[in-house]
Amino acid sequence: MTTEMFILATLDGLSAAALLFMVALGLTLIFGVMGILNVAHGSLYAIGGYVAATLGLAIDKFGLSPALYLPALFLAAILIGPLLGTLLEVGLLRRILGKEHVLQLLVTFAAFMILEDVQRLVWGTQPYFVSNVMNQFGNTDVLGITYTNYQMIVLPVVAAVAYYGLRYFLTKTWLGREVIAMTFHREVATAMGVNAKLVSLLTFVIGAGLGTLGGALASPSTALLPGVGADMIVQSFAVIAIAGLGQLGGAALAACLIGLSRSFAVYLMPELAVLTPYIIMVLVLLVRPEGLFAATSMRRI
Amino acid sequence: MLELKEVSARIAGVPVLRAINAEIARTSTAAIVGRNGAGKTTLLRIIMGFVPFAAKGSVVLDGKDLSRVSPHDRPRLGIGYGPEDRVLFPSFTVEENLRFPCEVIRMPTKAVDRRMDEVLAIVPELAPLLARSAAVLSGGQAKMAVLGRSLMVGTRLVLLDEPFQGLAPVLALQYTEALKRLQGARPDLTILITESNRSLLKDIPSVTWTLERGAMTVAGGGSGPRGSLPEAAPSD
Ligand SMILES: Nc1ncnc2c1ncn2[C@@H]1O[C@H](COP(=O)(O)OP(=O)(O)OP(=O)(O)O)[C@@H](O)[C@H]1O
Ligand SMILES: [Mg+2]
Repeated sequence: MTTEMFILATLDGLSAAALLFMVALGLTLIFGVMGILNVAHGSLYAIGGYVAATLGLAIDKFGLSPALYLPALFLAAILIGPLLGTLLEVGLLRRILGKEHVLQLLVTFAAFMILEDVQRLVWGTQPYFVSNVMNQFGNTDVLGITYTNYQMIVLPVVAAVAYYGLRYFLTKTWLGREVIAMTFHREVATAMGVNAKLVSLLTFVIGAGLGTLGGALASPSTALLPGVGADMIVQSFAVIAIAGLGQLGGAALAACLIGLSRSFAVYLMPELAVLTPYIIMVLVLLVRPEGLFAATSMRRI
Repeated sequence: MLELKEVSARIAGVPVLRAINAEIARTSTAAIVGRNGAGKTTLLRIIMGFVPFAAKGSVVLDGKDLSRVSPHDRPRLGIGYGPEDRVLFPSFTVEENLRFPCEVIRMPTKAVDRRMDEVLAIVPELAPLLARSAAVLSGGQAKMAVLGRSLMVGTRLVLLDEPFQGLAPVLALQYTEALKRLQGARPDLTILITESNRSLLKDIPSVTWTLERGAMTVAGGGSGPRGSLPEAAPSD
């Protein structure tokens, strides 16, 4: 492996990790409060990306200011995350609360399949690639490698803001503390006055928003095509399995682990690249079934 | 006054409670004694609104039909709950756990501070634990903290599910003392305690029921001035 390849693989891996982290953060937050591993989270990622790409194309088509490119990504996430999130939570998730995990997985998997077809119906099967935002941010030379500022700076900064923002919300605001209480014990939290329905909905909307934000921010640097949602949900599962459910900081490290190993595999063993999340997950779970960072005996967020 | 009228419940098709009738006056402390699986926890969870019961029954607190009140609105009515498995939120300190129910119902900070002082006067054992993480408490300390937390909002009705279970004699004595101070400090409060071992309760309850296979019978009034006559259904 040459130095150039090493640097390229590192930068690729870190920018992929930033996106993966945001999506996994949403997934683990929702699991913490509702106890449901939501497979349809992958669809939220994909649809967030498609909507962002559509907005990006519209900006070009109507000759609007390029200053709108970046806001359009966030707008896409803010439009579609809460909307789809509310639909999914009210229509589906709250009806399968406390049911067997197999049933929950099947139901959210069904929702994922349906949404996958909706994407094909609306956006077709041809790849979408709207890189106008990325070009706008320019490039930087890193030891002889030219790399986009968007992937190298914007994505990690947004991921860090999402992480610290979420931590602040969970530990410093009264609503956040209600969310935490719910992750530990739904019934006792309710007996203490927490409106479980409302807090679940709110958590789901925030989690869904993180999923769509991940997709929207991925759209400039990744080609959107059928299957991106499935790929993302598999990687996010691997992240939270490795980190331990509900471990926010651990999820950041796990996302780096998966992002980097996958990008290095692309250069070194391309045929194994798709398998790396599974391989790492299996290795970690063999040694520590509860995840690398799970606190002893208790679940926390 | 807490009234249970014809309260029957089935869980998974099996009758767990059968036509429970009881009245507990304000100012009185009632004990429900029953073996494991008798239905004690189920009865308290019914009062808290977590278990559905047959439509013809009702649970009424001071004239208000509790089946029309959402479970999460109970703390606002002054109902405090100490669950059996002494659940505290482990990422909070003991003090945060105590303040939590008040915070959730958006009680002004000044009022919470006052409530806190009042509770610490009743359960002084909690004072040195306040700054600790709830995750590191021993089982007995957690029972004390759960009692304290239930008193933070429980000004009209406090439900305690097997508070003495697993308490070493010294701690059990402290707990009894705390309950006595509570009876003195909040004479208007209705207290409902479940227990599998009657002798642990000493002379705390003014009335004691026995719950057996889902049916409740009077086991005897208490001593003390806080007595009230229960209206209990005959057993099967
Ligand atoms: N979620 C449930 N599913 C099935 N059966 C239940 C459930 N909860 C309670 N039961 C049954 O209802 C009956 C009463 O249970 P409950 O927990 O109220 O008893 P308890 O008097 O509190 O017992 P313990 O002293 O062991 O706490 C038991 O036979 C129990 O098996
Ligand atoms: Mg019980």
